[in-house]
Amino acid sequence: MAESADALLRAGQQSRPNGDEVVTISNLSKTFHKRGLTALEGVDVTLRHGTFTSVIGPSGCGKSTLLKIMAGLIPATMGEVLLNGQPVTGPRKDIGIMFQQPTLLPWRTALENVLLPIEIRSGAAAAEGASDRGRELLDLVGLEGFDHVHPFELSGGMAQRVAICRMLVTGPAILLLDEPFGALDELTREYMNFELQRICLGRDATSFMVTHAIPEAVFLGDEVLVMSARPGRIAEIVDVDLPRPRTLDMMTTPEFASLVRHVRHRLDELGAIA
Amino acid sequence: MSEAESLWYSGTWIDRVPQWVSITFFGLSFLGVWWFVAGMEFVSPVLLPGPGETFSELWDVTQNIFSGGHIAEALWITSQEVFWGFLAAAVSGFVLGVVVGETRLGQRAIMPYLVALNALPKVAFAPVFVAWFGFGVNSKIVMAMFIAFFPVIVDTAAGLASTDSDALMLFESMESSRWQTLRQLKLPSALPFIFAGLKTAAVFSVVGAVVGEYLGGGKGLGELIRLSAQTLRIDRVFAMIVYLGVIGILLFGVVAWTERKLLFWQESEIFEIQGTG
Repeated sequence: MAESADALLRAGQQSRPNGDEVVTISNLSKTFHKRGLTALEGVDVTLRHGTFTSVIGPSGCGKSTLLKIMAGLIPATMGEVLLNGQPVTGPRKDIGIMFQQPTLLPWRTALENVLLPIEIRSGAAAAEGASDRGRELLDLVGLEGFDHVHPFELSGGMAQRVAICRMLVTGPAILLLDEPFGALDELTREYMNFELQRICLGRDATSFMVTHAIPEAVFLGDEVLVMSARPGRIAEIVDVDLPRPRTLDMMTTPEFASLVRHVRHRLDELGAIA
Repeated sequence: MSEAESLWYSGTWIDRVPQWVSITFFGLSFLGVWWFVAGMEFVSPVLLPGPGETFSELWDVTQNIFSGGHIAEALWITSQEVFWGFLAAAVSGFVLGVVVGETRLGQRAIMPYLVALNALPKVAFAPVFVAWFGFGVNSKIVMAMFIAFFPVIVDTAAGLASTDSDALMLFESMESSRWQTLRQLKLPSALPFIFAGLKTAAVFSVVGAVVGEYLGGGKGLGELIRLSAQTLRIDRVFAMIVYLGVIGILLFGVVAWTERKLLFWQESEIFEIQGTG
């Protein structure tokens, strides 16, 4: 069943070889004129197909602003974001987004929440027609039989899984994750990171995740973008050369520890750790 | 839980007594004090009837109502005034609340007037409504509506403004139209606020109808109370006020019950302490 779900998910998106550029950001800047604040300056990012990119930096380094610009939710002051060759000028169907809070609508069942993006874009009939796809997504994240359950009956981790399904249901080309598990307890968070890795590997997803946790950034990322604050810049791109899938045991290896230490030192130099 | 545990966890002694016992105890104490004060005739029995006289009068009033007497007619008239006043307040308050909460014009140009109007003593308008709408039920319905619709407007607008910012961003990312966002996100999110406003309106609409009757006559309970007070039948006044309370509690109960059925995802108690109004 999981295999068929994976196959279905793959079918939902363009099949392209890993390594192709999905997102290209060149010389991007963002100034908030009202506050006279330069949030981002000269940011260049390339996201290749099937890769996972973590972004870490001190608070106020503009990482969430960058994610919102990539999502087409706010405009850039200079530069542009190309997604599959097309400039992002507003929200798009091929962009999936997820926040720290699950933001499920409490009056809708899990399945109805998953199908919400389809209902908003294409109407209730289209959402009804996609309910099989929604149910298979719920199966994929381990929520078989939870389709008619309301969010108040779900734990925090389960609610975030529903949010994952809602993000995936339109078959987006890029997943934008804004501290997706930041509000969960440590054990659930670790488990959800494994789940996220499994889901992303299963569908060759291209992902971009903002986080505050260094081990999480290293554990999930093929690359870790270390950002500096005021103005927000990419200070360093750290390659994470650990094999996939990453395992719990890997987190105790010297390689993992040295990568974490390296990122921490960089953040320290940037004044992120007081 | 063992006895030692329950002692450990319980707060003051009042938490250990079942609530119905403390409610009954407090009610009986009140009746006792009333009975004592009235019985000692500190004030004239004409002005302060004792519990005995009042309950016997309440029984007479109840018999009159259930046998379809003139008090039943008055109760029916006042109930209709309260009901239509509340309904008009709910509908107009909701519509105005959406306009005020959802449009920049409403927020910037209309809301200041509503806040100013809300600060006025609304009861003072009663004679105006009597002059405009006469001594019949219409002036009372308008008065009930006028007093009751401010909390609905303010709470509806506040509810719309309180929509979670992440959820708004999510809807934006789904390219939701303004109407879709309003219908699918903002209005359902605002429902707890709207119901808080409706519960206040339920209570206020009784106030409005009775004030309208006190000042504008008519054939309702308010008029009967005024006449009874003039002839110093305070026991009858008390008995009829009990029935005004019944109208208010019934309306409040219907609103609270609807809220519980509709907002199944949130816990709410019918008699929770209200912060609005």
